[in-house]
Amino acid sequence: MIIAAGELYPIFEWAKELLTGLGLPEVWQHLIIYGALAAILFGTLSVFALFLVWWERKIAAHIQQRFGPMRVGWHGWYQTIMDAVKLLQKEDIRVAIRDKAVFFWAPVLCFVAAFLAYVVMPFGEGLIVADLNIGILYIMAVTTFTVIALLMAGWGSHNKYALLGGMRSAAQVVSYEVPMAVSLLAIVVFTGSLSMQDIVNSQSGYIWNWFIFKVPFGPIAFITYTIAAVAEANRVPFDIPEAESELVAGYNVEYSGMKFAMFFLAEFINLFTVSAIATTVFFGGWNGPLLPSWVWFLLKTFGIVLLMMLFRWTYPRLRVDQLMKFAWKFLVPVTFANLILAGIIKYYGWYW
Amino acid sequence: MGIFKDIKNLLAGLGITSKHLTRHAITLQYPEEKMEMPERSRGIVVLLSDKETGKLNCTACELCARACPTGAIMIKQHRDENKKKVLDAFVIDNTLCCFCGLCEESCNFDAIKMATKYEFSTTTKEDLIWDVKKLQEMGLDVPYTPKPKKKPKPKPKPKPKTEGDAKPAADAKPKADKPAEVKAEAKPVEKKEETATPEAPKQAEGEADSKPKTTEVEEEAKADPAQSETKTEPEDGPKKGEENE
Repeated sequence: MIIAAGELYPIFEWAKELLTGLGLPEVWQHLIIYGALAAILFGTLSVFALFLVWWERKIAAHIQQRFGPMRVGWHGWYQTIMDAVKLLQKEDIRVAIRDKAVFFWAPVLCFVAAFLAYVVMPFGEGLIVADLNIGILYIMAVTTFTVIALLMAGWGSHNKYALLGGMRSAAQVVSYEVPMAVSLLAIVVFTGSLSMQDIVNSQSGYIWNWFIFKVPFGPIAFITYTIAAVAEANRVPFDIPEAESELVAGYNVEYSGMKFAMFFLAEFINLFTVSAIATTVFFGGWNGPLLPSWVWFLLKTFGIVLLMMLFRWTYPRLRVDQLMKFAWKFLVPVTFANLILAGIIKYYGWYW
Repeated sequence: MGIFKDIKNLLAGLGITSKHLTRHAITLQYPEEKMEMPERSRGIVVLLSDKETGKLNCTACELCARACPTGAIMIKQHRDENKKKVLDAFVIDNTLCCFCGLCEESCNFDAIKMATKYEFSTTTKEDLIWDVKKLQEMGLDVPYTPKPKKKPKPKPKPKPKTEGDAKPAADAKPKADKPAEVKAEAKPVEKKEETATPEAPKQAEGEADSKPKTTEVEEEAKADPAQSETKTEPEDGPKKGEENE
């Protein structure tokens, strides 16, 4: 079943009844419903990405006591929409000596990989496209596609900066995948399930049932996860794949127009993804009083996004060797120790 | 223990940025909001006019034109029946103006002022050359406090002193006016001496051998123009002094 239960359940029941009334075979019903879901997700997330670009610019500006975009609409609210329209119209400049197929497919893969994680994302009570029983594992597997896309972009561009950016990105994301997975694993050990729905359901009730408060290893897991997630999303202070001062723009130097926009939007969708995972795993997902469940989910997620934006405008960039040293010599041992701690606590039942 | 210190530092950094996040932006939204310029800020040069009569305060004394280091001010005047100066033209070339404010300082009659206005960009260079009308129009709404009139008081008592006062002003006459006058005055003098030199050798011939003496006279003739220039200045000075009265 696609929609287990929840606010939007009646709508989908109604749609299904309508489709069966039309006399369509079940395969077509599923195709139409999934297609509609995909369209809804794509639309919502594109809007989120555009909003995040605008929000990031606003927050950066206000931290530096500027206004940021102010010209287009009230406080420049549709600035990014106009930017996207402009990028759509721009000429698609391509390098003459490029690896044609790789150059073309890199932004597409990056964009698609950014959306894939939302198949198992519980946006609200019952608002989940497919509750896979390997939910978190699926997310971990799918988000890593981004590395391949960045590496492809670097390779296909025939540009030393782009290639260097792609290589750095591969090294960084592969390194930080380990602490990220292991810090999530500590929670998975506790819930005993990889399903996102199960993880959220096990945090239902009051605020102290959230995993960040419920178990002593929660905060440590959250901190290590946040650090690794910032690195996964290629953001400052771990933005060496696109370090402007070193690599011009990193892997996307040679991209222009809509291809660049795809990379850019994918980056912000990835930011939203890692924040949504943090919300789901550590902050009780859509659990919350009074307000509808999806509002709670969005509130918590945007709170974590805000935290990551604060990181970006507070901390300086790490050097490559420092980055690697930090991942392998600090984060990996800490997360593994945390995992062992989680196992011990779970085994002896030292929690409420 | 180093790690706790590091974490503390990281949190302190976050605290500072989030504190700044809540503060209001200091940016001025320029075309909508404009900064209140202080009264003595040096904006565009304008001519001030009397608030009651609406006539220009300018007396065509040309002090500002002399004070101007870039020669941006051009004044034309003539004298009427009562020997009073009448302003014919007052042109400021804003492409030359360096906004030093010396014209305002030199003016004794509250006639010229650097207004607080600063928006006067144009599409052509010619539009930046402003005549009396434009300058007066720009100066209509410029508030000004009249300068304390200390200088006119000693003026009527000793007349020679005013001449003495005027002399330095005459010496400091702008290059634009003066060289032309000096040349105009100097050239006839030279010509006179040139005409005189042919006579001199004739006189010299009667006294002694011509060749060495002609050279002397030539030297004198060469030296003469310099003398004539120096001479013209004192001649010029009193004239100008009279004009200023």
